[in-house]
Amino acid sequence: MIPAWMAQSDTYAPPRDGGAFAMRTLRSVGSALARLQIQRGRDGLRIPPVIKLLLLILGIVTLSLARNRLLLLAIAALVLSYTCLLPARTVLAVLRPAFGAALLSLVLFLPAMLLRPAGAGNNWIVIGKVFLSVTMVSIFNRRTQWNRITGALRKLHVPGVFVFVLDLTLKYVVLLGGLIADLLTARGLRAVGRDRHKYRSVGGVMGVTFLRASALSRETWEAMVCRGFTDDYKGL
Amino acid sequence: MRIIELDHITFSYAPDEPPVLRDLSLTVEAGECLVLQGDNGSGKTTLFRVLNGLSLPQAGVYRFDGEAVTASLLKNQRWAKRFHKRVGYLFQNPDVMLFNASVREEIAFGPRQMGLNEDEITSRVSDCLALFDLESLADKAPYHLSGGQKKQAALAAVLALNPEVLILDEPLAGLDRGTRARLVQLLSELRQAGKTLLIATHDDMLRSSLDARVYTLERSI
Repeated sequence: MIPAWMAQSDTYAPPRDGGAFAMRTLRSVGSALARLQIQRGRDGLRIPPVIKLLLLILGIVTLSLARNRLLLLAIAALVLSYTCLLPARTVLAVLRPAFGAALLSLVLFLPAMLLRPAGAGNNWIVIGKVFLSVTMVSIFNRRTQWNRITGALRKLHVPGVFVFVLDLTLKYVVLLGGLIADLLTARGLRAVGRDRHKYRSVGGVMGVTFLRASALSRETWEAMVCRGFTDDYKGL
Repeated sequence: MRIIELDHITFSYAPDEPPVLRDLSLTVEAGECLVLQGDNGSGKTTLFRVLNGLSLPQAGVYRFDGEAVTASLLKNQRWAKRFHKRVGYLFQNPDVMLFNASVREEIAFGPRQMGLNEDEITSRVSDCLALFDLESLADKAPYHLSGGQKKQAALAAVLALNPEVLILDEPLAGLDRGTRARLVQLLSELRQAGKTLLIATHDDMLRSSLDARVYTLERSI
């Protein structure tokens, strides 16, 4: 028999409640992690992932060793030209972290640039290198699926156990990111008023995620043992 | 009175993906019970997400109690909170709904949010625990409950908010026979009390027991 209050409608006027900063931050982290799952990695040029990975490594090494400004400008022209070929939404997603990293470098270099204006030119070069490196990694990340990246690492004869651990880690990151996003969504649906214990909820979400991560790793291990795993990983 | 009205809505998760819901129109009267059926992947959970304002359709209009649910309206905190108070949602996977230290705390979360006094909160929590026979598990961490117990704890937590509309995604899945019968009885009582029920289920027993209208979703892809 349902209680009397459940058979009646509540007259409820919710208060305004600000300061959901921690929740918003956690939600954006969860969503970002969960987004790995839907990463498409379509590449109009259809470059094999191994070549892309090698080009990325070559590009970053060249960039970090380059002292000639002309070479740097040539790399910049190449990277930015390729960026221009990407869809507008991807360009934004690629350039946002690059500008962020460059800005952070600028802040770190600012005292040196102000105290020693003569060396500012070199500082700008380092900032430019940071911008280009992050742009390249970001393009690679946006245009290549994670499973293809790990596949490329295998083809480059990176030790199988390393690739396996990386693969599993990425899968867990996606799963746990999805869990955080779902937990916060479900919490948000029931957060219909003023939350006096926001940090308790944040702690609860973190705790559940930690427990789930622990259970997931145990279950994966058990499933591997059931399929004959004997601590000796043999890659494909 | 129409509480829910979907007018030719179309929804897809990404612009370059085919829509999960295509040109869907549906109305639900207040106090009605609607059972949603359809194959796996036919969009039942997606439809529930739209009805809860978690996903917004790319085309068409969703009206709740006569008001079009839009992004700007959902950004209005007071409106969104009132809307979520009125619409209770039981997720298919109860694991994602339980984040408190104990079942008691979990159920008390909603009433606390509403600013009820401690006596009212205690009374609501006791009533909800009794409804699902969860008294002996009240101080246990929800994480350590079995799948069926988690589902009941999650539903108890939703009911503690006393919503007018209950959206339940596979509420009977993973429950034993006795618990299923008790839950069907509870849903029947809620319906008699005037609650609007939208239930996704493959269970024919539930549909016939609640004398529900059936809406079948066809896969749009």
